[in-house]
Amino acid sequence: MNHREYIDRSFDGQLSPGEWDALQAAVIADPDLRREYVERRWVHALLESGSEALPSLFAGASPAPAARAARATSRPLLRLSAAAAVVFFCATLFLVLDRRTDTTVATLIEAQDCRWAGSDLPTVEGAGLAPGTLALMEGMATIRFKSGATVTLEAPGVLVVESAMKCRLIEGSVVADVPESAHGFTIDTPKMEVIDLGTRFGVTTTPLGNSNVFVFEGEVKVKENASPVAKHLFAGHSLVGATDPQPDQDQEVRRSEPLPSPGDDWTPISTAVGRGGDTYIRRGDAHGPTGGHPLLMVKHTDLADNNVRRALLTFDRSTLGSARIRDARLALKMESSGLGFSSLVPDSRFAIYGITAGSPVFRDEVSLLWKNAGPLGDASLSESMFRRLATFEIRKGSPNGLIETRSDALTEFLQSHPDEIVSLLIVRETGESDKQGLVHAFASKEHPTSPAPTLWIQTAPLE
Amino acid sequence: MADNGPDQAAENYLQLLNQHERALSAYVYALVNDRHDAEDIIQSCKLTMWKQFARFEAGSHFVAWARRIALHQILNYRRSARRKPLYSTDPAFIEAVAAEIDREGETLSARSEALQECLRQLPENQRRLVLLRYYEDHDISLIAQETERTEAAVYKLLSRVRSALNDCVTARLSASAT
Repeated sequence: MNHREYIDRSFDGQLSPGEWDALQAAVIADPDLRREYVERRWVHALLESGSEALPSLFAGASPAPAARAARATSRPLLRLSAAAAVVFFCATLFLVLDRRTDTTVATLIEAQDCRWAGSDLPTVEGAGLAPGTLALMEGMATIRFKSGATVTLEAPGVLVVESAMKCRLIEGSVVADVPESAHGFTIDTPKMEVIDLGTRFGVTTTPLGNSNVFVFEGEVKVKENASPVAKHLFAGHSLVGATDPQPDQDQEVRRSEPLPSPGDDWTPISTAVGRGGDTYIRRGDAHGPTGGHPLLMVKHTDLADNNVRRALLTFDRSTLGSARIRDARLALKMESSGLGFSSLVPDSRFAIYGITAGSPVFRDEVSLLWKNAGPLGDASLSESMFRRLATFEIRKGSPNGLIETRSDALTEFLQSHPDEIVSLLIVRETGESDKQGLVHAFASKEHPTSPAPTLWIQTAPLE
Repeated sequence: MADNGPDQAAENYLQLLNQHERALSAYVYALVNDRHDAEDIIQSCKLTMWKQFARFEAGSHFVAWARRIALHQILNYRRSARRKPLYSTDPAFIEAVAAEIDREGETLSARSEALQECLRQLPENQRRLVLLRYYEDHDISLIAQETERTEAAVYKLLSRVRSALNDCVTARLSASAT
């Protein structure tokens, strides 16, 4: 058989693996065959990708009259079978529709600030879900399976609903709450299968297919593809899959989006300018100094002492000279920290504190640790050293946007601050319901693509 | 927070996606044999495109950009190991076919238009076969059972329908070119 005949057979799985390999090699080697392959494959691909529209396409046009006439005159038997085909077609269509209403395996019970990326399932609250895919761009969606298991998908994420007892996480994070009735509920990921044994647990999957599992309560069984033996995980434990060799292999040139300027008379001062800097500190200093990290992590929790994190921003405003400050705002670019689940943290409030003149200055970000940061780590920040200048809120499941905060207190603080160096401390005030709650993060001056923390200052011209 | 920046971006994105979704899906289906894999890839593609949308330059070629992202996803796709693929595909093959699709991009989108018309002209019995194979997603052996034919006969009929569609599309294009 020649390779041309192989082409069409490959569309229906009619080739042996050896024949398929031979076809691949021939297509790579022969430009004419390649053209023909693409031409024929394209028709097949269009039929597959547009299959949903086929019934309505056919319904909107009557079949070719010539073909019909030929059948009617010369082949009466076939005419009968054509009529039967119409009946059959209607019956199958009915079955298909019926099957779709009947095979609901779950309900979308909550869709908070959701933006969907063309999911093939209904995305309104209360909708019944048949097996299919949900792709969430923004927000957080909670699905109750008929088995009783509840799964919350956090954006960005892709979840395939397979049955009342099973779903598949292609990418993103979910938190599952599984009652006794649904023991055995399974979350499948590219590299492992997580089987519930009565619990509450979370699973994250990165775009490269690596997964982590965290058990909040009870027990789960994890079957990794790479290992024949299933592991049991209990409350408070986690299983961290292999880390990505490269977080982003995209070949495209990365570029930083410049911050939008509020106006001509505004001057940006980022933490990368002059003697500025940024870092965050983590109670317990589990991983040593955190200066030079691309992310500034911020978290508050009453449940796990050593997970508290605060960010310190230092700005050098010497470039402004003696111009009078009229207004100011702080711009921070949110980023995913990859740590924790946002379902476990409510809408969160953050406070920006100004460190008053004359206070000790923490400038050496490379060696700054929680333990040598003195008052920066105090549970209640002293009023003589810290001015609470502004707050901002990040809603549960909100996308990684740019956060701009302004307040009169911030402007007044800058106006009255005598030094060229200004230090701000960012603290999250909202706690969490489980210690696996989300760690918020903002781009630091080391971030490869996002803008560094920036203080925008509007000055009045000197008169 | 920026006033309407993120909302505007999402709206632009969804509008472009809406406009070019078919072209993106066809591209993925042309390069991926397994239908379930293709569906997974298309969904993650849409998400990745949204995540990288800030890097998409307005006015540049959305489909070309989408294809680049899709190709990257296809080459890096990790299938759930419990589903065995029928065929294993050589990355060099995928890249060769992808390059050919890029080269023939214009012609292929014209072929997509023509196919709609050619499908409308299919006689009833062929329509039924197309529905069973593509809409119901049945494989050859299941269709053979349902239509009480041998698998070889079903395959032959199906192959004939695709060839007829292909010839019809080519004929329409050369007719409109002259």
